[in-house]
Amino acid sequence: MARHSSEVSVLGPSTQVTGRVSGEGGLRVEGSVRGDVQITGDAEIAPGASIEGNVAAASLEISGTLQGDVNARGPVAIRSGAVVRGDLRGSEVSIEPGSRVAVRLTTDFELDLGPAARRR
Amino acid sequence: MAGTVIGEGLSIEGEITSDEEVVVQGNLRGKLSSTDAVSIGPSSVVQADIAGQSVSIAGQVTGDVSAPERVDIQAGGRLVGDVKAARFTIADGASFKGAVDMEV
Amino acid sequence: MSPASVIGAGTVVRGNVEGEGSLELFGRVEGDVSMSGDVLVAEGASVLGSISAAKISVLGAVQGDLRGSEAVLVERGARVVGDLSAPRIGISAGGLVRGNVRTEGEPSAAAQRRPVAAAPVAHRPPQVALSPKPPQVAPAPLPAREVATTDAVHLVARSKEPERRPPPPVLPSLGKGAKGKKKKDRDSDD
Repeated sequence: MARHSSEVSVLGPSTQVTGRVSGEGGLRVEGSVRGDVQITGDAEIAPGASIEGNVAAASLEISGTLQGDVNARGPVAIRSGAVVRGDLRGSEVSIEPGSRVAVRLTTDFELDLGPAARRR
Repeated sequence: MAGTVIGEGLSIEGEITSDEEVVVQGNLRGKLSSTDAVSIGPSSVVQADIAGQSVSIAGQVTGDVSAPERVDIQAGGRLVGDVKAARFTIADGASFKGAVDMEV
Repeated sequence: MSPASVIGAGTVVRGNVEGEGSLELFGRVEGDVSMSGDVLVAEGASVLGSISAAKISVLGAVQGDLRGSEAVLVERGARVVGDLSAPRIGISAGGLVRGNVRTEGEPSAAAQRRPVAAAPVAHRPPQVALSPKPPQVAPAPLPAREVATTDAVHLVARSKEPERRPPPPVLPSLGKGAKGKKKKDRDSDD
């Protein structure tokens, strides 16, 4: 029971979910989800796994495939081998070379180009 | 050891299909089918038809349950729905309302 | 291997920079950069304009699009506002990007022999467009081989070494290389 009582839910490699996944705690997707995911904890898309839908989570690590928008309070990490398409919002978004992406990053930060950039 | 665990805080509205053991401790509305064992934990509320190799219910289930092997309603578990299974037990302290088809 | 060019810290280029070979940028460019080789935007450097090159590595700040025919790498501490496109794209943790990011084609192997669309001027020599500021006397001696306008654009032709080092010091007394020296160059800049 020890493992089950943890706050992390797991959708195993052969598990397919069609519908909406929401709630508290973390989620590791090893199978596939078609539908939106909205959780309070950290989300992870394992290698070979996929989500087709929007994801809202504390953070998100993608090693599999994601087609959908992401809204994370924390970081979004795209690992090598991942395939990601959608709008990504997070405190920061990292992308490993070797991933395939077509994403829009809407990270908030100040771009300081130095004083001379306010030119002329 | 379960391949799939729907944790206590998690809710799924929709359909789950799997070839591995599925443990539900959260909430599920829709449909759940696995070729392996399914267990519905004591804290979970499920409104779904459930199919598994075997199904163990310790939480609240509304929906039809079928399993080629067996269906067990544990103490404290509650099932409102029909059961289709070769073997079927209702523990002391469990509640059940529905029809039973044991494929005789 | 084409020679590498360097724009030192304390150097501001207003205008487009384009050419053959690689470019290491420690200063600032206000204009588009287009090179046939690799471009490094070092820490503290900034580009207000687009960059196209074979491989682009950013540790500084860029406002503009990055197009790499091989790769675009945004390293820790870098800030980029603009679109990224390359067969291979990396954004390290701690590197911030706002814009569209798109990998093209195969992620790794096939990235090799695609046409260098990013560098349409591969046959022209390096050129820069300079700001019309009057030349000033460089107080510090420059390495002998630097083709330097005193206005501070240094295109240093070097034989190899596409990696991210400042130009090799030529004078023994300038052991820190050209980077620190050029800072002194431009105290009256702007």
